[in-house]
Amino acid sequence: MLELVDVHAHYGKVHVLQGSSLRVEDGETVALLGRNGVGKTTTLKTIMGLVPASGGAVVFNGTDLTKIAPHRIPGQGIGYVPQGRGIFPTLSVLENLEIGLPKSPPPEVMDHVFERFPRLKERLGQSGGTLSGGEQQMLAIARCLVLKPRLLILDEPTEGIMPILVQDIRREIAAVNKAGVSILLVEQNIKTALKLCSRIYIMEKGAVVHEARAEDLKDDKDTLHRYLGVTI
Amino acid sequence: MELVIALGMNGIVWGLIIALIALGLSIIFGLLDIINIAHGDFFMVGTVLAWFVLDTTGNYWLAFLIVPIIGFAMGVVIEYTVIQPIKNAAALSIVATFGLSIILQEGVRATFGAAPTRLVPPIQSTIQMFGLEYEVYRLFAAAVSIAAILLFFGFLHRTKMGTWMRAVRYDPETATAMGIPARKIYMITFALGFAMAALGGVVAAPITTVDFQAGVDILPFCFMAVIIGGLGNLEGTVAAAVMLAFFEGVMASFADPTIARIGSLCLMSIVLLIRPHGIFAGATR
Repeated sequence: MLELVDVHAHYGKVHVLQGSSLRVEDGETVALLGRNGVGKTTTLKTIMGLVPASGGAVVFNGTDLTKIAPHRIPGQGIGYVPQGRGIFPTLSVLENLEIGLPKSPPPEVMDHVFERFPRLKERLGQSGGTLSGGEQQMLAIARCLVLKPRLLILDEPTEGIMPILVQDIRREIAAVNKAGVSILLVEQNIKTALKLCSRIYIMEKGAVVHEARAEDLKDDKDTLHRYLGVTI
Repeated sequence: MELVIALGMNGIVWGLIIALIALGLSIIFGLLDIINIAHGDFFMVGTVLAWFVLDTTGNYWLAFLIVPIIGFAMGVVIEYTVIQPIKNAAALSIVATFGLSIILQEGVRATFGAAPTRLVPPIQSTIQMFGLEYEVYRLFAAAVSIAAILLFFGFLHRTKMGTWMRAVRYDPETATAMGIPARKIYMITFALGFAMAALGGVVAAPITTVDFQAGVDILPFCFMAVIIGGLGNLEGTVAAAVMLAFFEGVMASFADPTIARIGSLCLMSIVLLIRPHGIFAGATR
């Protein structure tokens, strides 16, 4: 479904991604882990075309995303929930939900979204900025679902969320995956990543350096400690 | 007293025209981070084109339709050739748009001549108001400006393109990731800013002087409205433009116009001392 092949990216003269490779299969949930500043967010932004790739290929269902305009990438079937949620605070909840579509979506699409996130339906006229952190995260996910993605990319979805709501968000991501949407997740919360994902990539210094099945990584204390500095 | 009322009313009319022009300046600044020194010249181009339409067709009303369209088209070309290459280099925008300002002024001077022209208003009747004989055209100019401002806000808040403009203005990266063509939005916004200034020129041409340097005088006033209204606050810009022009109009009934302008600048300084982000700061939408 998605494959990154030896992807390089620069911020000015800084060589941030130094040959990153990974893949996400149909229906799979994959996590990208690593310490701060290793290039996880840049990897996601490169997939979305927000940071131009200076080398390599980002192939999604046979299309090289590095060759198309960034605003056309969501239309290929990729939803993106950026770090910090990326809600437009001065736009209403409804405007946020419909932002990616040229026209209002069919009622059945909205019904499906509201079925999953009933709280959003109660707040349609409210400004996005007035929602709580958890509600904003729900809105950010719902906004992508309106576009009917085949792959959902989430950058630290539980960051800054009240611990009591982390479970809800985790459950929603699992439900989205169960509905057939592949997930690529960047997460600092290792437990969340291990619970949600079947496969894990670990990045260091701008490149993927380790790949493991989540159930194997749980028991691999040495790798967890060496690359992530954590002990579970 | 009649003079105070007349100049006060003229001030409100002029303020509404300025509001229309300053709105364009404000959206260009808010979305593209461009300090557009040439914005006054967009107004000037509007006045000159209005005169040209009248001169060639004999029908001033046509200018209300044709000139904003020409302004929009010129805006597209200028955004592509001047603004796009300096995107992400905001400091360069002052130099680039200053150069553009000179090109527009000299272009108009070379094409239409340097002699200032006055146009006869297309409506020449007067109406009895507050004990004065007031020009109907000025009331018409105010009505057109109000209608254009309301249309603009309607466009911004009731259409998909307007929603996209507000989204790109807040966070272009996330907007792009949602599938919004940010590049196209920048171009449309700049062109819309030009079209609004050009429409302001058409509205104002019969009550001001058509001159290749007309934009030089109007630009500081637009900047003052944008600053007092709160940078990026569109509703604040409109309110500040009307208040400033009314204040200056009333001042001009007691003192020399230069003193009135100094009064406006003092007022802006006082506002900025008390509210550094403008009177309506915090209400940005």
